[in-house]
Amino acid sequence: MARWSMVIDLDKCVACQGCSIACRFENNTPIVSPEEAELGREMLWNEVFPLRAEEGDIASEQSRFLTRPCMHCENPPCVKVCPVQATFIGDEGIVHQNYARCIGCRFCTVACPYGVRYFNWYAPSWEEGLEQHLNPDRVMGNGDLEGPAIRPRGVVEKCTYCIHRLHKARARAEAEGREIRSGEYVPACVQTCTGKARFFGDLEDPNSIVSQLSQERRAFRLLEEAGTRPKTIYLEEG
Amino acid sequence: MMNETLSRRKFLRLSAGVMGSAAVMSTAPRLLNRLASDPQSAVWLETSTNERIVPTVCSMCPSGCGMLARIADGNLVKMEGSPMHPINVGALCPKGQAAPELLYNPDRLTGPMRRTGERGAGQWEPISWDEAIQTVADKLNELRQAGHPERAALLYGETRGQMRGFLKRFMEAVGSPNAVSHDSLNIEAAKLGIYLTQGIYDLPAYDLENSNYVLSFGASLLEAGRTPQRTVSGLSYMHRGRANRGKVVTFDPREGVSGAKSDEWISIKPGTDAALALAMCNVIIKTGRFDSDFVHNYAFGFQDFKDDDGKDHKGFKNFVLENFDPRRVEQITGVPATTISRIAGEFAGNRPSVAIVPAKGGLLNGGFGGVATAMAVHCLNALVGSLETPGGVQIQRYPDCPDWPELPADSAAEAGREAERIDGAGTVFPVGRYAYQAVADRALDGYPVEAMFLYDANPVYETPGGQKFIQAFEKIPFIVSFATFMDESAEYADLALPEPTFLERWQDDYIEGLGYPGVALRQPVLEPLHDTMNTGDFLLQVAQKMGGPVAQAMPWDSFEALLKDRLQNVGTDWETLTELGVWITPGYRFARRGSEKWINEVVGADRRRAPRDGRFDFFSRELSCILGDLSDDELAALNPGASGDALYLPHQEDVIYEGGEKEFPFVLNVVTLMSLGPHSYNANLPTLQEISGMVVGERWGSWVEMNPETAAELGLQNKQQVWVESPFGKVQTKLRLVKNIHRDVVALPHNQGHKAIGRWAKDRGVNGLEIMNPASELFTGLASFTNTRVKVYAA
Repeated sequence: MARWSMVIDLDKCVACQGCSIACRFENNTPIVSPEEAELGREMLWNEVFPLRAEEGDIASEQSRFLTRPCMHCENPPCVKVCPVQATFIGDEGIVHQNYARCIGCRFCTVACPYGVRYFNWYAPSWEEGLEQHLNPDRVMGNGDLEGPAIRPRGVVEKCTYCIHRLHKARARAEAEGREIRSGEYVPACVQTCTGKARFFGDLEDPNSIVSQLSQERRAFRLLEEAGTRPKTIYLEEG
Repeated sequence: MMNETLSRRKFLRLSAGVMGSAAVMSTAPRLLNRLASDPQSAVWLETSTNERIVPTVCSMCPSGCGMLARIADGNLVKMEGSPMHPINVGALCPKGQAAPELLYNPDRLTGPMRRTGERGAGQWEPISWDEAIQTVADKLNELRQAGHPERAALLYGETRGQMRGFLKRFMEAVGSPNAVSHDSLNIEAAKLGIYLTQGIYDLPAYDLENSNYVLSFGASLLEAGRTPQRTVSGLSYMHRGRANRGKVVTFDPREGVSGAKSDEWISIKPGTDAALALAMCNVIIKTGRFDSDFVHNYAFGFQDFKDDDGKDHKGFKNFVLENFDPRRVEQITGVPATTISRIAGEFAGNRPSVAIVPAKGGLLNGGFGGVATAMAVHCLNALVGSLETPGGVQIQRYPDCPDWPELPADSAAEAGREAERIDGAGTVFPVGRYAYQAVADRALDGYPVEAMFLYDANPVYETPGGQKFIQAFEKIPFIVSFATFMDESAEYADLALPEPTFLERWQDDYIEGLGYPGVALRQPVLEPLHDTMNTGDFLLQVAQKMGGPVAQAMPWDSFEALLKDRLQNVGTDWETLTELGVWITPGYRFARRGSEKWINEVVGADRRRAPRDGRFDFFSRELSCILGDLSDDELAALNPGASGDALYLPHQEDVIYEGGEKEFPFVLNVVTLMSLGPHSYNANLPTLQEISGMVVGERWGSWVEMNPETAAELGLQNKQQVWVESPFGKVQTKLRLVKNIHRDVVALPHNQGHKAIGRWAKDRGVNGLEIMNPASELFTGLASFTNTRVKVYAA
């Protein structure tokens, strides 16, 4: 069974925000009003932001930026607190979010130490005509609704590693009677990355690019001390 | 592969088996755990019933990235980077990703319109395209019959490929020399810098992939610049794509993302980049680490020399040694002499190295000082022998297109074409090729303009002090805008003739920034949404309607037919080009120094008057020829920032600021952001608005950046409202304190403060260009982006 993982090389990332917006158009995240945005309620599953300088940093130091999708933890705190199993870790390590089951209690948004869970305070809407560009893909099941499906008001959403793309790639592979190929399934942010800073693949496969990079000296995970064991792995600058 | 169909039925069939198992599961007692225990088999994918992928080219910024448009059930739902396009190789920045919001934007113009009320009052009536064509053709014929076709003028913005030549040809066929590019707002300083030294009137390409060391002067390489995506790809590869890591050093008064992502960012006093580059030349010459073969055998003016009249002239070497000692330049630039020497040593010792001549953004645009700076920076390349070497600076080559057919004999047009240009380029501005923003001043000064066309041009918004265009427009009886949105300039037009977005039209684009030739094709990814017309098609129909020699000069049935005709020799057939969207001839072929190819293509080929002898000019003979025509008084009237030989050598000019330093302590820097980019209409894409201020945590508006120490002295607080006032006006916005900005500079991001365009752009934030010096530089006609001072105080 695959264990999907993303590696982000901060040395190659140029903070262009291509990932944020590729994600928006792939996953149908709504635009919130300027007033809501001012409250920090933008629905960008993969936000890019400047890192605030720590106390004691020397003034001449260069600025740094971080790009932050869901960490898809192996030990995800959000899953533990969800009272209805709307969020759960799948067999392939992806932390799912089932909108059909979410009751909007927001325990998960509080539990997540990375702040990558987003709550729909309002019903999403797209102004006159903009709804035409919505991605028609959705992951459906009996009592299950995931992926780019439009979320109603009152549910939590988050990065899914573009799970619908996994379904697509798998369906294609099955139709052709073969295994899914390396590189056949990548999330939208990885595909669009201008600095080619993002890598995606299977951690179980020792030859995959993510396995190789995760062994690098520069590799680290956000808030490693929290014991969440993220599968989104970063490579340090420099 | 290009027309992949992924049908819903197929997916349903595929998932039928697993649905069976889901049914069994549903009888299991622990229903709640079903998904958790076996999530993969219980779900399936639904998608559209009909999909296709259409390749095209982005036009949200000048990078010109290849795109693949995903059309699902007839809707454009996603843009991806084209993996075959060499500039972006599958990548796409947020502007390109947000392109569907441009296509489906509710504020687009939906059909041709004629003004009914006062200019600017916003009263319009719909007209038919036939009527529009007839009106324009009648107007142009009227001008031709009156013997004044030169009174028609066209201002155009970002366009490459056939459209640029086509617009010029159309105007020439009518009989006007007045097709004016907006280059004087951005890349012209760099182009002239290369022209006056290397003798090539174009931006060069930089072989970043093979370079070991890159110097960037105030260019905001990764955010603005000519081809940001090209630079991002190159620098990403330099850093991590190969075994030995290259180094990037950025000099800029403002760090920005480009400085942050460089290996070293060095703050510099605004307007002093030339001195810095020349101080590095000083170190390289003093330590003897220059390319001796190049400077002695393939360059002119390195050593002192005698001219034909026996007069002694100062050469670059002694000029630089005498005037640009790093310790002296430390006083000018604020960069420590030790840093200058260290960077110079690293630059010369880690070849191949390149110094990037800034082509947009930063504080180098505008002013002859800007051109002199571009020359100085390019001399660094020459000194280390980086011209036409792997890892160095290359010539941009273009696809092989046939020459445009000879224009038919047409006495009315021929006389018109000889008239003085409306922008004064080549006359009022002796060194300039275009002076876009000066068109307003010239029209107000009495240059008669009877018909004005605006193509991708919004001068009211995008030029310093652009409000002057509103007055200039009052003098022009007939104005046509081809804008896709009702922008600030279109509001004053008589006809608004909307062009479709780049996603709905035929156009080609040359690939720029890699040296080797390539062409990419824009094609309608779906049927145009509104009653729009490609401006190329419109002008072809106008020409036919005009008849006579104008019709003869423009014989193509459609712009698509013109593209087929003109792109027949690029190396592939039309079907392949439309299927792939891009065709390149990879592999840059270097010319050997002094070879015929070198002389014909690489050094000196575009010189109009100085010898095309394959020598790089440290001492600009071309400039000396141009200025040699002027009398001493005429030259003095241009207010040169240097005298004698220094004028023709790369030199440092003191910036002449509008506004005294005491009253106006800060230099105003209007910066282009990666998010909003250069095009006015980007401001009306809500997604780009939402991410626009990522660097400081702002969104949906403007802010002004200031150094926190300076703010503390002025008693100003982060996020408070302030006035930013120059001698030309004032704007109110939010103050943001940014640690990595020079204390003498405040930065105001571009592309907010629109008064038109649409619901998301209008009345949001401020436009820094409104309070900028509206004057044009006297030598070149470049816009003055660099010499406005401001004061900042609490609102």
